[in-house]
Amino acid sequence: MTTLKYSYFPGCVTPQKENAYELSMRKVAEKLDIQLMELAGANCCGFFVEPVDHLSATILGAGNIALMEESGCDAITVCPACFGHLTRVRNSLLEDAPLRNEVNKALKEINKKFEGTSKIKHFASVLLQDVGIEKIKSTITKPLSQLKVAPHYGCHILKPSDELNLDNPEDPKLLDSLIEVTGAKLVNYVEKKMCCGAPVMGVDEKLSLTIAREKLKSVKKAGADVIVTVCSYCHVHFDLNQLSIQEKFSEEYNIPVLHFTQLLGLAQGYTPEELGLYENRVPVDSILNKLQQ
Amino acid sequence: MEVKEKSKIDPKFKYEVARVAGGENIRYCFQCGKCEATCPIRRFEDSYKPAQIIRATLLGLKDMVLDSDVIWLCATCYSCTERCPQGVRLTDVMRAIRNLAIQKGHVHPFFKQQAGVITRAGRIFEDEEFINQMRGELGLPPLTPVNRDDLAKILRHTNVKKLLKNEKEK
Amino acid sequence: MVEVSEEPRVGVYVCHCGLNIAGTVDCKTVSEYAKTLPNVVIARDHKYICSDSGQEQIKKDIKELNLNRVIVASCSPRMHEPTFRNVLEETGLNPYLFEMVNIREQCSWVHLDQHEKATQKAKELVRMAVARAQLLEPLEIKEVDALKSVLVIGGGVSGIQAALDLAEQGFKVFLVEKEPTVGGHMAQLDKTFPTMDCSICILAPKMVDAAKHPNITLLTNSEVQDVSGIVGTFHVKVLKKPRFVDEKKCVGCGVCATKCPVKRPNAFDMGLGTRKAIYVPFPQSVPLVYNIEKEHCLYFTKGVCRACEKFCEAKAVNFDQKEETIELDVGAIIVAVGFDSYDPSTLKEYGYGVYKNVITNLELERLLNASGPTEGKLKRLSDGKEPNRIAFIQCVGSRDERTGHPYCSSICCMAAIKQAVLMKEKHPEYEIYIFYNDIRAVGKGFEEFYRRARESWVNFVKGIPSEIVEDPETRNLTIRAADMGLGKIIELEVDIAVLSISLVPPKSLEDLTRILPIPRGPDGFLLEAHPKLRPVDTPTMGAFLAGACQGPKDIPASVAQAKAAASSAAALLSKGKIRVESSVAFVNEDNCSGCRICEPLCKYDAIEVKESSKGKPTALISEVACTGCGVCASACPTKAITLRHFTDQQLLAQVKAALFKEEGACVDRGISHGS
Repeated sequence: MTTLKYSYFPGCVTPQKENAYELSMRKVAEKLDIQLMELAGANCCGFFVEPVDHLSATILGAGNIALMEESGCDAITVCPACFGHLTRVRNSLLEDAPLRNEVNKALKEINKKFEGTSKIKHFASVLLQDVGIEKIKSTITKPLSQLKVAPHYGCHILKPSDELNLDNPEDPKLLDSLIEVTGAKLVNYVEKKMCCGAPVMGVDEKLSLTIAREKLKSVKKAGADVIVTVCSYCHVHFDLNQLSIQEKFSEEYNIPVLHFTQLLGLAQGYTPEELGLYENRVPVDSILNKLQQ
Repeated sequence: MEVKEKSKIDPKFKYEVARVAGGENIRYCFQCGKCEATCPIRRFEDSYKPAQIIRATLLGLKDMVLDSDVIWLCATCYSCTERCPQGVRLTDVMRAIRNLAIQKGHVHPFFKQQAGVITRAGRIFEDEEFINQMRGELGLPPLTPVNRDDLAKILRHTNVKKLLKNEKEK
Repeated sequence: MVEVSEEPRVGVYVCHCGLNIAGTVDCKTVSEYAKTLPNVVIARDHKYICSDSGQEQIKKDIKELNLNRVIVASCSPRMHEPTFRNVLEETGLNPYLFEMVNIREQCSWVHLDQHEKATQKAKELVRMAVARAQLLEPLEIKEVDALKSVLVIGGGVSGIQAALDLAEQGFKVFLVEKEPTVGGHMAQLDKTFPTMDCSICILAPKMVDAAKHPNITLLTNSEVQDVSGIVGTFHVKVLKKPRFVDEKKCVGCGVCATKCPVKRPNAFDMGLGTRKAIYVPFPQSVPLVYNIEKEHCLYFTKGVCRACEKFCEAKAVNFDQKEETIELDVGAIIVAVGFDSYDPSTLKEYGYGVYKNVITNLELERLLNASGPTEGKLKRLSDGKEPNRIAFIQCVGSRDERTGHPYCSSICCMAAIKQAVLMKEKHPEYEIYIFYNDIRAVGKGFEEFYRRARESWVNFVKGIPSEIVEDPETRNLTIRAADMGLGKIIELEVDIAVLSISLVPPKSLEDLTRILPIPRGPDGFLLEAHPKLRPVDTPTMGAFLAGACQGPKDIPASVAQAKAAASSAAALLSKGKIRVESSVAFVNEDNCSGCRICEPLCKYDAIEVKESSKGKPTALISEVACTGCGVCASACPTKAITLRHFTDQQLLAQVKAALFKEEGACVDRGISHGS
């Protein structure tokens, strides 16, 4: 099997709150002969600085891309916000020469330069586009046919579609195919395309939880066992905050939330411990029991 | 948004927004309302009306827009940008309006706090040691440290530090 | 008539064009400069040289100063070259002794902020023109025959109207329609706004007139395959596809269809109803002749059945019927091929093609029509139940930068209002909602009709819905929209959602514009010669446009445009002769080596290499077919071909004048050149 090499961009939310995501990603990558190199000195991609100052956010992003270019290959991230932000920074710097010059002037202070030779990719798209479904299928040893899985794409992996060019936000298939390759049953639900609401948590907690609750309601109604995410921010919101939602609205959901890499990992034969499944806040026992049957 | 009595109309406001990178396409809005119909925030929060914010901006109600609380409610989900038939790119326009708000001295404390940590420490958290401890327990390699001097050097090229100091808390 | 041996006496006129040129170019300076150029007898600047006074000035100077070359530096030759050539002709000068310099579209308008450089450029352009003018020669005025016959492509209301108008004036008309019947989209409509006339009732008499008119030859089930020749004598090849039924024998009784065992979706009913493999598209089809769809006929596919043939009393069925190529010679062509509809299944948020109760406005039209698939009773496609709440979504595909159709489709506001009023007339208990961005009601009686809709309690909601969600059990649809007037999001549950879809350029234009080169605009529709003043002409002389193929429009606009096209075609052909450009190519037989390089290069088949009177193969160019493109002249290795009015000498004189600052001195632009 040919080895694919990428540098790994960690982001902020994943190391802070969802290390199980990175853990399970590394496990899946291992089985698929994906080699990940460290990006020394990588910092926040800049997404969280955008509301305050666009240029700063661009410079932060460009600095990280310059690091990736030094590594000599494309970069993988598990965070869609990083993927989206860095892709858009790269696109705008490639198109806008005066902006590029301005940014490179700043980067020159630390002996870095943006050229645009490296792309940033989300792990999910690497799996589908670079590795391919057939190869993934060949590593599936424990098909998850007992599970009914609801996909949650979130927003930043798909939109704005004319800049990310990854999938059709109105009819996405990316995560669907990754779920189906594990042998699990894909469950579509009415609110499949809606945002999880996490970004407004710091501004209006009740509103943020109301949106996530709407999604949980829809998933429950469709009869899914588990929600699968591609984003740490979404995962925290559905997983950790599910308990707050249950309390606030006096409702019961108990729907475990898995990172898509954890689902793939299970199908590849990894144990729950190896995939950090016990880091999840909503207990995963229900699905583990189902898988025993 | 609060509809204040006798709000002043400043026709120059729309040009200011258009001058911020990402705000240029605000001029194409023809108030079809698709953004509002699509927006997940609008759906659950009646006071957040993205098309109305565009309308107020184009008309020139500068203070109303920049002082308002609601411009900080956008979840940056980009759904409006996807569905807008005129390519207004509302998510970017909203960000441009936020950038102008902070220049005027108004910013939601959550964003101020986050940006403050990042521009100082390079990540959304300060305590790298604690994070690396957690990672170690899972068998993950530690994060490489952020060079804060380098970070300060490149950020000197913008006035973000000044912006984060001078604002009024909401 | 001027002899070429006479010394050139040049008059130069620099036009201000109000401020269009003078706002950027210093016209006085340019005309002063012109006076210093070789053989320039008089140079003037003028505010509007194309005006009556301007033209009179030129005529006066020609007479009084014996001018034999005239140069006008103003707008594009496409605007006024004919105007000024006429001026020369009126004074007895050959029109080809006129040279036009474009210092507007190619100078002042593209260098708006650079006054000095633009003025310098204008001077240089005039210098080039003066150099060329010295070498201009009078050319014989060329006229071609104009046949008094017209080809009309497309048998919808526009094509039919144009054909009738021309036929009434005594022109022979060939009306070619690709479907087995004429009628087009108008035949599919139930009622027409704002008068609520029954559409087929007002159209059918015209369809019959067109079929019966002694001057009209109706060729249905036919397509234009090839057009060659030039205006006045186009040669057209039409392919008449076989219907496997003899047109002369079929009486349209329909017995064959009752016996045919094969059912097929009826395209006329937008696929919502069925017809047989032997069919007429609709009851009032003209000609009322049955057609066999070969791909689904049991005889053609499996060699069995032939029930139609057995039961036809007129013995009209003929399975051996072959396609026919019909060759026609016509003087002019009117293109009236109509429009196609946008396919909304690409907009996944509306669920068209997935949710059964989401339909297009054309499909609704067929459901409302008494001769439609449900005999005019509106039924839900999911369960056949009668609806109570119906929503229209406007601007689906139109006014949308994402779909490639940024334009307004013009008719959908009125069409939706019409359908709403129709439904409310029969079922006042229905609740009908029209979700709109703007209501466009510009035509005669349209605004009043919009009021009538409100009078009938049709609900108008300003706010385009973002998506439709289907209840999987009831198949009801929830429309989510911002009610901008109310300032709230509304979620409305309805039984049927109607998408008012965009009109788009017909797919057939791809083939048609290869056969008949007419340019298409950025919106994909056929391009008129001038958007304001020449709405039915095209840049291709002799080809005219009528109807929706030129841009979305309603029936009165289509009919008016068809009448205009007919009138323009008639005016063109009425004198029996048409003046065409004299700037065509000719061969100097002595220099022609018969190498045959030129022959295949000519797009217009104007060159034939034949044995000359001297016995050697020589290229011969048909002046009638030649359009003066110049390709042959540039390709000829022995320079045997000359393009009149664009000779090598004339063009080189322009080039030299461009490079030379002063007589004899060479401006160093780093270009080396031969002497």
